[in-house]
Amino acid sequence: MAPSLPYYQPHGNEVELFEYAFNSQLPVLIKGPTGCGKTRFITHMAARLGIPLNTVACHDDLTAADLVGRHLIGAGETYWSDGPLTRSVREGGICYLDEVIEARKDTTVVLHPLSDDRRILPLDRTGETLQAPDNFMLVVSYNPGYQNFLKGMKPSTRQRFLSIRFDFPSPELERKILTNESGATADVVKRLVSLGSALRSLKDHDLEEAASTRLLIYAARLIHSGFDPVEACRCSLVEPLTDDLETAAALMEIARATFGR
Amino acid sequence: MEEQVGAFWHRWITRTANRHYPEAAVSLEDNRKQLGIIFRALGGDGGLKIESSYASDHYGHRSLLQRIAGSDKRVNNAWRDDRALLLPPLIDLFADSALNRDLYLWLAMLAATPIREGKYHWIEQNRHNTLLTLQRFPGLQPRYQRLAEAVIALRPPLEKLPSQQQQSEKAIRAAILHPTTASPFPNHPLLSIIPVPLWLVLPPEQQGDQPQQESDKENNPNPTENSPPKEKAAAQRRKAERTENPDGKSGLIALRMETLFSWAEYLKVDRTTDDDEDEDAESRADDLDHLSISRDAETSRSRVKFDLDLPAAEYDDTPLSEGLLYPEWNYKTGQLVKNLCSVIPLLATAAQPCDLPPSLRRSARKVRRQFEALIPSRSWFRGEMEGAEIDLEAFIEFSADQRGQRQGAEPALYRDFRSGNRDLATLLLADLSLSTDSWVNNHSRVIDVIRQSLHLFSDALSHTGDRFALYGFSSRSRDHVRFHQIKTFEEPFNETTRGRIEAIKPGYYTRMGAAIRHATTLLSRQPANRRILLLLTDGKPNDLDLYEGRYGIEDTREAIFEARREGLYPFCVTIDEEGGGYLPHIFGPGGYIVIRRPEELPLRLPRLYAQITQGGE
Repeated sequence: MAPSLPYYQPHGNEVELFEYAFNSQLPVLIKGPTGCGKTRFITHMAARLGIPLNTVACHDDLTAADLVGRHLIGAGETYWSDGPLTRSVREGGICYLDEVIEARKDTTVVLHPLSDDRRILPLDRTGETLQAPDNFMLVVSYNPGYQNFLKGMKPSTRQRFLSIRFDFPSPELERKILTNESGATADVVKRLVSLGSALRSLKDHDLEEAASTRLLIYAARLIHSGFDPVEACRCSLVEPLTDDLETAAALMEIARATFGR
Repeated sequence: MEEQVGAFWHRWITRTANRHYPEAAVSLEDNRKQLGIIFRALGGDGGLKIESSYASDHYGHRSLLQRIAGSDKRVNNAWRDDRALLLPPLIDLFADSALNRDLYLWLAMLAATPIREGKYHWIEQNRHNTLLTLQRFPGLQPRYQRLAEAVIALRPPLEKLPSQQQQSEKAIRAAILHPTTASPFPNHPLLSIIPVPLWLVLPPEQQGDQPQQESDKENNPNPTENSPPKEKAAAQRRKAERTENPDGKSGLIALRMETLFSWAEYLKVDRTTDDDEDEDAESRADDLDHLSISRDAETSRSRVKFDLDLPAAEYDDTPLSEGLLYPEWNYKTGQLVKNLCSVIPLLATAAQPCDLPPSLRRSARKVRRQFEALIPSRSWFRGEMEGAEIDLEAFIEFSADQRGQRQGAEPALYRDFRSGNRDLATLLLADLSLSTDSWVNNHSRVIDVIRQSLHLFSDALSHTGDRFALYGFSSRSRDHVRFHQIKTFEEPFNETTRGRIEAIKPGYYTRMGAAIRHATTLLSRQPANRRILLLLTDGKPNDLDLYEGRYGIEDTREAIFEARREGLYPFCVTIDEEGGGYLPHIFGPGGYIVIRRPEELPLRLPRLYAQITQGGE
């Protein structure tokens, strides 16, 4: 492995699956809760495969033109400017649409010809049709647990992707990840992971989202650099998870029970 | 005079014998939410409620003073059964309120630890769970140590105990202070164990199977006579047993025989008022050691709350089809039982077409105006990144900026003509169970409020052009879930549907799960992108059979999960003020709203709908 490879701890066969998908020129959809390592996985895979990575963070107002490109009005003339998707198709590499569910429904339709066996991107405005190179790969991700039920992915879009479900790692793996990412001591890491699993069991009942591995890493880093553990938990785990004062007080009790005084 | 002396003596002696600190007291009510979260976070079952426990007698050693004062005879224990975690309503054992609160936290955490398989001695079980909890949460160690020492300090000195108790007391102290080492417990009558506030006891139902002493060695000296917590009636459970109802054939005659056949002067006394409700029943129940309840066919206060007979077929609403079979979730087995419920769609027979009731016209106009903002209309959208035409104004501004060497961030120079697209379908499901027959104020019943809400809601929606359907439900056991059709998605909204709204009436029970499942089926057939299942209710799911309490709640929760899996957005609007306890469990955070003043519902509902539907645009 190259020394510059970003750290990633596989939970299953996702690395091999991704490599097969890349070799077979199939698009991939990754779903999982926030902060469980989706983006890190893609970064890792891009480095591993040695191809460039173009990330587009999707949002409510993302239009098809934002992805594909548009005519800009210059000094007395108009010129075409490629969007990130078009650039990626021209240059090859992974085009990663993060939180694709946030984008408007019509936007995802431009992905259709790219994500089946045609692998083309027609540009209506310029009359061009781009053929994706062999090392082009489309990857999209979304968070199915999001409270935004009003949005869902169109089945016609969803059915074009190989889908991988991500979840929070097992306690054992999570300890490994935390140690690697923060350098915190084994004892701190063990306590944080047990606190994390306690907070995760509150999802759906008391909390909207589960405590992510990312938040645990933040806490571990703070503690490792000498910050008071209970206070580190407050600002990295409790406050990010809830705005409700009573819930926060209860979560703090659990943090105190973990690091205690 | 005698009474005064007696009262004075009682006050003095109870105060002297009192080892409690009312000024440092911590109540369950203030900490209920936090304790619930902590309990669940440590692995406790999310379906269990946190309730206050009732006091029971203990026969442990009491000091001479306490015996004279007659205090500390009863304790409030903590235990867990399959419905709830029961904690003392108040803890005032220690002078430091922080320690009292710590004891609550500790009990909640201890209760979250799973029960070890196999038959273990009660002390050993608690010792083991203490150890497990401390291992999982090492940060608790110092706190536990403080609590343990404080609890030991409350116990009478060893040498003051009768010699046969000393051995068991030693073993208990060892288990409290050093939970890491299992020490054999002397086989000795447990009758006289002084309560251990740090430990959980067996649920009273299980205590019944054990020798009497099992229930007596428990915890939390917290006598109710010293500081009776002012609990809401619903929040407190009492110890009771079920007894057989005497059949009346071989009863004891409690009056002298000769009076039976004697003549008496007729006195015109209206005896009916003698059968008043006992207003003081609650406090009497507190004082009684034991309540006995039996099932009796007659009620002493004859307020017949339910009317279970179904109307004769010719008077009943027209069934639209045979019963549709739906499954039901049994949380005890964790299985979805197939074809358990039969949902019968009904159409009101007696409904007369009518117009909007005149009393509602003003409100309707108001709501309609608020809704005008939601009406999708085709219009020019200016300043767009792309569009059919160039937005000249934006272009001129942009060119001027360029001349002036200023760089606009991103030129939005186009305009586009399109319609705001609200591709959504809403199914409103109203609870029409008999509980809606109760009065919310002097003028209207819950059902009237629901009727008005339906009127305003449908009137507003019919003006926006959003697709919607209206249904109501009630149930009488699992084979008869009545699903009243008011307006389907296909039907236009007109006098006929208004007439059906007018015709809704309360009846029967609330089998929510089956009704939600049927509504889910209907709504998921709609082609819209966003589908909203709006549930309008006034209370918990319940029905005649086992569909009550936890069973009903878990089934409803499962039905809501199923609806989400279908891609629907379920949302509950309730006027049940007690709903705070179970609603998050069923609908999740943000999936429900409690309306405190039911009379506001008709106006709030359309506004809520507007918020829900605009939120996800």
